[in-house]
Amino acid sequence: MLEATNELGNAVLSTGGTLTDPSAAAALAVGLAALGAGYAERGIGSAAVGAMAEDDDLFVNGLILTVLPETIVILALVVVFIV
Amino acid sequence: MSAAGSSNPEFVVARVRARRGQLYGDEEYRKLVRMTPAEIARFMEESSYETEVNALGSRHGGVDLIEYALNANLAKQFEGILDWSEGSLYDLIARYLRKFDAWNVKTVIRGVYTGASQEAIEVDLIRAGEFDDRRIRRLLEADSIEAVVEALEDTIYGEPLRAAYAEFEESDVLVPLENAVDRAFYERLLENLPGGEPIRQYEAFLKAEVDFRNATNALRLARSGAEIDPAEYFIEGGELFTRDTLARLARNVDELVEYIAESQYADELGPALRELEEVDSLIAFEHATDAALLAYGDRLGTIHPVSVTPVISYILAKERETENIRAIARGKEAGLSADEIESELVIT
Repeated sequence: MLEATNELGNAVLSTGGTLTDPSAAAALAVGLAALGAGYAERGIGSAAVGAMAEDDDLFVNGLILTVLPETIVILALVVVFIV
Repeated sequence: MSAAGSSNPEFVVARVRARRGQLYGDEEYRKLVRMTPAEIARFMEESSYETEVNALGSRHGGVDLIEYALNANLAKQFEGILDWSEGSLYDLIARYLRKFDAWNVKTVIRGVYTGASQEAIEVDLIRAGEFDDRRIRRLLEADSIEAVVEALEDTIYGEPLRAAYAEFEESDVLVPLENAVDRAFYERLLENLPGGEPIRQYEAFLKAEVDFRNATNALRLARSGAEIDPAEYFIEGGELFTRDTLARLARNVDELVEYIAESQYADELGPALRELEEVDSLIAFEHATDAALLAYGDRLGTIHPVSVTPVISYILAKERETENIRAIARGKEAGLSADEIESELVIT
């Protein structure tokens, strides 16, 4: 397995390498940002649902707070336009 | 729900914080101490106790209604918390709430011992612990203490109770059985706590509770001057006392007070200890330990917002509220003045 990965790595490097390709790196950046946003929303979302279960009026506040981390992804998208 | 899988502190803490906002504050207590029991029941009906007061209103009245509504609400709230929490969070909360199981077991044993009717025992139970309805039913149906011990065979109380039962048969006093239940609870409380900073805080809180329990017991023994071996009432797990120091100190009130005044709890309990020396009343000391625990719980709840500690903080505050309302209602029934009742309350 390890040797296979090594060979793959060598092959990738000799043909120019995927990660040195700017658009691929930008895609990875957006993906990682989305992952981070998702993780943040997990906690906020479950707290928001908990608060809503106690008091329905908190729906709007909960919704806003839950989607706030989504801004990370939008900021990361800027990278796509720069490269 | 269960102790498997990952825990969900965010959800539970959000719900608990919302509930905490509904607890009575200074304002409400000030109003409550000026009400009659019937008015208190009405006041409760208009706040978060609505369902319970309505459900029990047709069968009970006056102070009994308040008392049962408080118990029912406490049980509902804590059952709810156990229902929502999952994973290690469940385990941590259940540890503490098992004290209601211990309370229920003791109530049933006392009820069976004094020959109380099944209904009379049932209304005094607080169904907030881990025991499900089936086990509670079996406990209630037990007609002898041996049957109670048998019904608890497969729980953590089984083994210690069986051992204590032999002693009970010889002496016919309940103390060994009750001690066995208490000890089983406290032993499980501090056993195998997982790691992590919030858990350390939680552990420190539990230890403080054990310490305070030991200190109060020792003070009571020392003042009563009864010929009881203090070591029999010792609860393991605290930091303040060891079995030997407690046994030695419980023979002399002054030494004991001195010892507590120089301990790590000096700041919290200092004023109460001075009062204890002046007016010679244990009530102030007991209130001071309660207030110190509550204040500690409040602090816990803010240091680590997403952990078990805010939940424990809420559980404490809720228990305290129940006890305060009960004190007000009972005080009113006994005809105490508003000022006297206010001195009985623990409000932070």
